Parts: sequence; structure tokens; C-alpha cells
Amino acid sequence: MKKILVLVLLMIASLNILNAQNDQTNIMTDSTPLPGMRGKPINLPDVSAIGNIVGYTSDNKKDKNRNDLLLNEVETAFQGYVYPDVRADIILAIHKHDEEYESEICEAKINFQNLGYGFSGEAGKIHIDFGKVNKLHTHHLPFTDRPLVLNKFLGEHELAGQGATLKYLIPIFPFYSQIQAGFWKINAHHHAHTETKVRDIDGSTVTVEALIHDDTAFSPADKVYNFRWNSSFNLGNKKELEIGFSGLKGRGAHYEEHKDNVEVAGADITFKWFPSSYEKWTFQNEWIHLKREVPVGKLNRDGFYSFINYRANKYWDYGLRFDYSENAFPKISYERALSAIITKHLTETTYWRFTAKHRNIDGKKVTEGWFQLSFGIGPHSHELE
Amino acid sequence: MKKFFLFVGLFFASSFLNAKINIVTASMDLKSIAEFVGGDKVSVESISEGAQDLHFVEPRPSMVMKIKKADMVLKIGLDLDMWMDSLISASRNKKVGYGEVGFVDCSKGIERLEVPQGKIDGSMGDIHLYGNPHYWLDPLNGKIIAKNILDGLIRISPENKDYFKKNYDDFCKKIDEKMKIWQAQMEKLSGKSIITYHRSWSYFAKRFNLKVPIEIEPKPGIPPNPSHILKIIDTIKKENIKIILVDNFYPLKAVNKIASDTGVKVVVVPSNVGGEKDVKDYFELFDYIISKLTKE
Repeated sequence: MKKILVLVLLMIASLNILNAQNDQTNIMTDSTPLPGMRGKPINLPDVSAIGNIVGYTSDNKKDKNRNDLLLNEVETAFQGYVYPDVRADIILAIHKHDEEYESEICEAKINFQNLGYGFSGEAGKIHIDFGKVNKLHTHHLPFTDRPLVLNKFLGEHELAGQGATLKYLIPIFPFYSQIQAGFWKINAHHHAHTETKVRDIDGSTVTVEALIHDDTAFSPADKVYNFRWNSSFNLGNKKELEIGFSGLKGRGAHYEEHKDNVEVAGADITFKWFPSSYEKWTFQNEWIHLKREVPVGKLNRDGFYSFINYRANKYWDYGLRFDYSENAFPKISYERALSAIITKHLTETTYWRFTAKHRNIDGKKVTEGWFQLSFGIGPHSHELE
Repeated sequence: MKKFFLFVGLFFASSFLNAKINIVTASMDLKSIAEFVGGDKVSVESISEGAQDLHFVEPRPSMVMKIKKADMVLKIGLDLDMWMDSLISASRNKKVGYGEVGFVDCSKGIERLEVPQGKIDGSMGDIHLYGNPHYWLDPLNGKIIAKNILDGLIRISPENKDYFKKNYDDFCKKIDEKMKIWQAQMEKLSGKSIITYHRSWSYFAKRFNLKVPIEIEPKPGIPPNPSHILKIIDTIKKENIKIILVDNFYPLKAVNKIASDTGVKVVVVPSNVGGEKDVKDYFELFDYIISKLTKE
């Protein structure tokens, strides 16, 4: 009998201990892990995926992409800390390019967040910090398509290079001011090839690959150097002014053929006002000048965009963007566009967006409509942008 | 000439000796508690404002400079203020980095509510991986926050340990005194059900023995839809609910519709210090909330 009683008492005691332990489990015993440490208990990085579905329509009946609804891009991210203050981000993307899906290392970088004395640095394959938009990933943009001037002067995708950048937060000013400089090796984007038959020197017929020149695409490439200075001023009463200047020097993407040296300069100014908890006004402007030196002379081209956006509440954004850009080629062309953009946010990384865009390309008028659905799964984070 | 150098030397020495500890907090609530514990030896700034939804604070470069100059940062933690992490990282201020001397996560030691179990995904709404982060709305958790701040201040300035400890003790004593008053005021609502807009009030409800059978949001962060509004109206009628408690930054359209259909009282209150002009510190926050809730 005693044994049974002892056994029962032991059981009750052990149950109490177990319950007590269960009570303890909800007490926060340590600091909340940072983004990049979500897989901490099993030493895994944060893993996330972002999909971008885009539907497109146009009144240009010759446009072969007209009335398509396609998965434009899938971005997968692996993010984590490798050392105190050293974070690694590997972002892989499968995106549509020239009618085909291509996989690409979007960014693979190591970020030294604190090198001491106000310095930080990044190395690897990185979106180059030029202006306000180039650094941003597709899902982070406040519009469906990138501004014209970026497509014309920096290429159709984010300009990304392999190299390193050093950033310095200037301590002597009472306002935020950062300078940075980087050096990069940028590979030209692949372009479509075709097969053609030619007569060989011995008279036989052979098949060779020929490059299809895409005269609408231009981007800086090869060895590229860049700098950026950006500052931010708190104007009080929930208003903020951000100003930036960017520069870039390199070669054209097809230097072997065009022998072109390239310099790009940019200036951006953004005003933000937060009238209430959710409301936000943004007025963002970016101007870019391209100087392209080819053997026959120098091309000087300009472009800019102006974007005004009103976030009415937690869920809705309304924006208007005006684009103007010249092209990057010897025969100059002009394009203007006006876009109206409505975005409904479901979560931080999931939203849908409608864009209506009216384009004027050297007098030829085209109206386009876009539907975008961007969705995210898993913990996904970017540094301050 | 010697006198001049002596004067300059004394000036710099005195300014160094009188230098206050610069604290930057994620919220006005943490600022208020830090001011109680730190007294006149600290200078405290908050990144967010009182009437702001802390889930939606947009980190801005100008905020980086506040953290750049900070000796200590106070985070809410539990993933509510993840925007602080990018600011801390951009500031390159080694002193306040994660796990460093000047880094204080005020959620340490909090008994968390609504910690999700099993798989977590978007179907559950904007759920917080580490549990409900609105813990400062239980006044007794104010003491845990104050203890975290005290530990941080002692790490930074051990010579002032006694001063901070006394302030901390005074703060805890005042919380205990006020709790008796608040408990007495809330007695008439004890055991009753209320509806809240978001799950911001779980800690408050638990402390004052209120039941929250349903929220205006069907899931955290998800706006109400017509079928959920009907469900709320049904719950109000079945459980004879008299109050909807709403943080003062949430939209009132759906709430007013429910109120006009059921006659339920809508109580709009700040959930942070500074959310109303009369709410200047942590004690006044609860004074305000409780007076509004218990007003006939």
C-alpha cells in the first residue's frame, strides 16, 4: 500500500514539475532573434520565396506579349548571420527574359554591417546602389514596371555587378549622410542567337551561330566604378527630405563591337510626409544623364521620372508616375509615359496592383494595362533602403 | 594662458562628467519607463510616436542618426519592432548592436500570450512567431520592462547603480499602488466580455479578468469582411457584450456599423503613451484607458 501511495505521490509530483515546465516555456528568456536568425534553433538560414505574376494588355496589336498573364519572376532568398555583424544574403531568381525563363543569381553578398569608425561594406554579386530604384528588388518597387530611364540607361533588369562596395556614415553632420564607392565586374546580359549557314573557305556549307543585335537594349558592363552620396533631413512635423547623387563609369555591354565608354550621372530627391499612422505622401524624382563615347563621337542623353504616391490607409496606395527618356543609341528617340497605379496590400510582401500606362514613343501612342500579383512566403528582409 | 587652458579643460571635463546616457526607444511606453528608471541621468528619445501603429513604422534615414548617437536602445521585441533592426544595423553603432552592452530587448522575462504552436503561415494572418507582442498593456509587465532597463543602465553606468535601483523600486512601488486603484475601478467589468479591434488587448484583458470572445479583425492584421461582421453582431447579442475597445489609429467604419446595429459602446483609446495629449506617461496611459472603459 505504501509503495502505491509513494508511486502516486511521485506521479503527481512529476506531473506538477512537467506542468511547471510547460508554464515556463512561454517566458521569454532571451532577446527576440533578429531577421536572419529565424532558423536559430536548428541553425538554418531564413528561407523565403517571392512570386511575381504579371498580366499585360496593350492596344498595340503587333505586341506579341499582349493579353498574357505570366509568372514573371520567382525570387528565393536564403538569409542569415555568419559572424557577429556579418550577414549573408543569397537571392536566386528565375525570371522571364526574351520569352524564356532564365535562372540567375540575383544577389549573393556578404554584408559587413560594422567595420568600425562608421564604415560598412558589402562584397559579392550585388545590385549597385545607383539612385533610388536600382537597388530595389522587383517585389519591393512601388510600381509594376521600372522607370523608363532606368531601363534605357542601366538595362532592363537591376544593374548588378560582382565586386565590393565600401560605405561611410559621415559622423560630423547632424543629419544622415552616407557616401559609398564600389568597383564591379558586370557581365553583359545574354542575347538571343540564331543559326545561319555560311560557305566555308574550302567551299563547304557550315552552320554558325549569329548574334541577333537588340538595339533597344543597353546597359553598362565590364569594369564599372560607382559612387553615391545620399543624405536625409528631418523637416519636422513628420516630414522628411532625401537627396542623393550617383555616378558610374564603365563600358557598354557590347564593347567589342561598339567600343563605347560610358559615364552615368544621377540625382534624386524624395519628399515624404506621414500625416497620420497609416497615411503617407511620397514625391520621388530621379534624373539620369548618360554620356556614351563611341568612336564616331559622344552621345549625351537624359531621362527622368517623377512619382507621386498617396498611401490612404493600411491597405491602399494610389500613385502617378511621369516618365521621360531619350534612348542610348546614335539615332535619338524620345519616349514619354504617364502611369496611374493602384496597389492593394494584403501583407507586407503580398499585394496586387493595377497600372494603366499611356506611352508616346516618338509620336506613336500606345496604351497599356498591367495587373501584378506579388506574393511572399517565409521570413524575407532587406536592409534599410 | 595657463588659466585659459585650465578653464577649457575644466569645461570639457565637466561636460563629460555631466553627460547623460542617451537612450533611444522603439516606443513612447518604453521611453516613459526609461525616464522613470533613469531619472535625470538619462536623455530619452522614441523612434515612434504615441498614436502610431507599431506594426507599421517606416524606418527612415533620419532615424538612423538618433541611434548612431545612442548609448542604449530599448526594443519591444517579439517581432513588433523589426524596423528597429535595420536602423540599428544602418547606424553602425557597435554599442547598441544585438547582444551588446547597450542593447536591451524589453520582452525578456515576459510571460508571453498566444505563442503560436505548430506550423505558422500566412493563413493565420499577421501572426507573431514569438507570441503576442503587446505585453506593455499589462501594468505588471511594466515592472519587467523596468527591470530590463535597470539591468541595461547598470551595465552602462555601474557607478550609478544605487540611483537607478532606487528609481526602479519607486516605479515598482507606484505600479503596485496604482494597481490597487485600477483593479478596484475595473472590478465592475471583471469577468465580462468585450470586443477588441486587434489582439492588442490580450495582456490587459488577462490582467483585469476580461474575456475577449472575438476581435473585429477575423485574423490578426486582416480587415473585417461582411460575414465576420455578422458573426460579431451575433456574438454581441448572444453574450450581451457592451463594449468594443479600439486602439485610436484603427479605422472605425466597421466598428461604427456594428455599434449602430447593436447599440454597443465604442471605446477609442490610445494603446501607447503620447497617443492622446493627456497621456504623458505610463501611469496616465492606464488612468486614461480605465477611466474611458469604466465611464458610464
